[in-house]
Amino acid sequence: MAYVNVSRDPARNLKNGYLATSLVGMGTTLVTFAKQVFGLEESNTVQWPEVEYQYSERFKGAHFLTKRPDGRVRCTACFLCATNCPAQCITIVAGESPDKGVEKYPVRFEIDILRCVFCGYCEEACPVDAIRMGPEYSMAGLAERKWVYTKDYLLERDAVKRKVGEKQVSKKDENTKHDSVDSSLPNIHAQGSGHGH
Amino acid sequence: MSNQVTLSINNQSITVPAGSTIMEAAQKLGVSVPHFCWHPGLSIAGVCRFCMVKVEGMPKLQIACNTPATEGMKVDTVSSDVKDAHKWALEFHLINHPLDCPICDQAGECELQNYYMKVGKYQSQMEDEKVLKPKALDVGDTLVLDTERCILCSRCVRFEDEVTKTSTLGIFNRGDQATIGTYQDRKIKHNYSYNLADICPVGAFTAKDFRFKCRVWFLKESKTVCPGCSTGCNVNLFQNSNQREYYRLKPRHNADVNGHWMCDVGRTMYEHLNASARLPAPLLNGETVSAQAALQAVTDALKSVSADKVAVVFTAQFTSEEYKTTLATLKTLLKTAPKVFVWRDESEKAEDFDGILFRGDRNPNTRGMMDVLKEQGVTPVMLKGDFSALASASAELTLIFGPEVEAGYPNLAKALARFVELKKAVYFGNTLSESAKKMWLRMPVKVFAEKNGTFVNFNGVAQKLKANPPVFVAVKGVDEYFSDLGKMAQATL
Repeated sequence: MAYVNVSRDPARNLKNGYLATSLVGMGTTLVTFAKQVFGLEESNTVQWPEVEYQYSERFKGAHFLTKRPDGRVRCTACFLCATNCPAQCITIVAGESPDKGVEKYPVRFEIDILRCVFCGYCEEACPVDAIRMGPEYSMAGLAERKWVYTKDYLLERDAVKRKVGEKQVSKKDENTKHDSVDSSLPNIHAQGSGHGH
Repeated sequence: MSNQVTLSINNQSITVPAGSTIMEAAQKLGVSVPHFCWHPGLSIAGVCRFCMVKVEGMPKLQIACNTPATEGMKVDTVSSDVKDAHKWALEFHLINHPLDCPICDQAGECELQNYYMKVGKYQSQMEDEKVLKPKALDVGDTLVLDTERCILCSRCVRFEDEVTKTSTLGIFNRGDQATIGTYQDRKIKHNYSYNLADICPVGAFTAKDFRFKCRVWFLKESKTVCPGCSTGCNVNLFQNSNQREYYRLKPRHNADVNGHWMCDVGRTMYEHLNASARLPAPLLNGETVSAQAALQAVTDALKSVSADKVAVVFTAQFTSEEYKTTLATLKTLLKTAPKVFVWRDESEKAEDFDGILFRGDRNPNTRGMMDVLKEQGVTPVMLKGDFSALASASAELTLIFGPEVEAGYPNLAKALARFVELKKAVYFGNTLSESAKKMWLRMPVKVFAEKNGTFVNFNGVAQKLKANPPVFVAVKGVDEYFSDLGKMAQATL
């Protein structure tokens, strides 16, 4: 009948003792070190900042704003991200867009990045895929830097162009609009509505 | 024949006057029946077909808003077929309704949204494309019309026909092409236009004044009284309490004063409450001083002049309590009542009335002020365009209580120029007017939204104001200043 003898204190065993296990560990380190020195094994260490680590596409780093295919900001200033933000770090000032088909757009869109907790709720709340959290993770800077990300910074900064590229243009469907919305006609009769389609 | 009928709604019995509808009985009982087109201040249209209820003995469901209550009627508003009817009626309303909620100012206080959450179908069975209609139409100086969002309840059309009798709006075309709109070459221009944005159950009419400024869920409402004229409409004042910024007013129902409505002039009564439009701290000879120092200066001045050289100029824009405290304190300090003048604007036509709500007397508390003066045994002298009475009083210290709402005083600058000529003028008011700059002392005061007090309207109805937290913490009301001043004077005696 097979059984394990536990009557002896395992710590007393030379194999399980402090010194022995330390030496075994040191052996592993030395072997790996030697392998990597002679190029037999690839190192897991990334030589940051010379080499950048590539996180998954789903990584929630610094925010950016997406664009419409014509390059304008996708955001409609609905305030859902600002409402949902647990850190209250999003400030939006809405305005009337010159394009009547869009109606509302953000005149100012600011994120106080020091208050942000990177929870991703803004992304979740956005009904038009306008705000996303990007792959950018190195956000360190000196105290005199502006820590409030402005609309221009969120839309146009080089890091976003480099890392997100074409994906900054949201492919989400545009809302279709009636022809008359682009006109400045005062009332519905002026466009001769009534019959047919 | 009895004038009362008793019916039961969901097995609760209720007695209402004969001729009342099921909807009115339900409202009285506190049972909510979903509705769009019915509005207590307008006639019955019965077009939205949303307020379906089950009446025992009738083969089909009936609309609550246009079915008269009869004796012994048994109404059910909660059974499954009633709920089913609500669900499907809402589905039909939503067929052509755009998904505009993110850019729609009504979102958050939209009846369509609320009922959707309450009784909606959630999974639409509509497969066809939505019908597109004109959006963001300019229909007047105050409103924007979005015909796509409209559910054709016709409340706005009835408001124009029945309340303002201007009949600018109508429903044009038929079927799914039907749109709300203004008649050709006509615009909505009357003093009650913002009510259209209020009564619109969806976001078809939105106010230009409030357009895109703030989402409604950031706003907190407080119940107060409009200071715009002597009618004293009951209003809800909306403030973003995080920003300490006021955004708008909406009428609050009071059958004795304003009914369901208020005027567009009253809607602007939030503008002078915000920090940018106000004097933040006392100015003594043009220099900022603390309230304490300013009051000390007034106390010293009061002591140095003889009692008959003190004059008081009131405007009827303060609360009754403020007049009372001011006069009582001055009487105690001077041992006699000061000379009191009442400043009215030159152009004022106090008896004017537009037939709905708006009155020519642009002061909210004329009646209350006169009552207090009478009670204190003071006979005031009127200053209306002619300031010679004040000049001939040759006062050495004049306490001026300026108007809070300057829109009612178009000749303000002219009057201020006269006051500046006076020897030692103390101006209680928040005016940023150039003409006030040479005043000896300017004291900022609390505005109506920050005061607890009473306004008595033209009809003698006394109404309480309820205070919000002040925009400037150090700024006090006139009554608080004068009770402090009284204490200071006592202490240094």
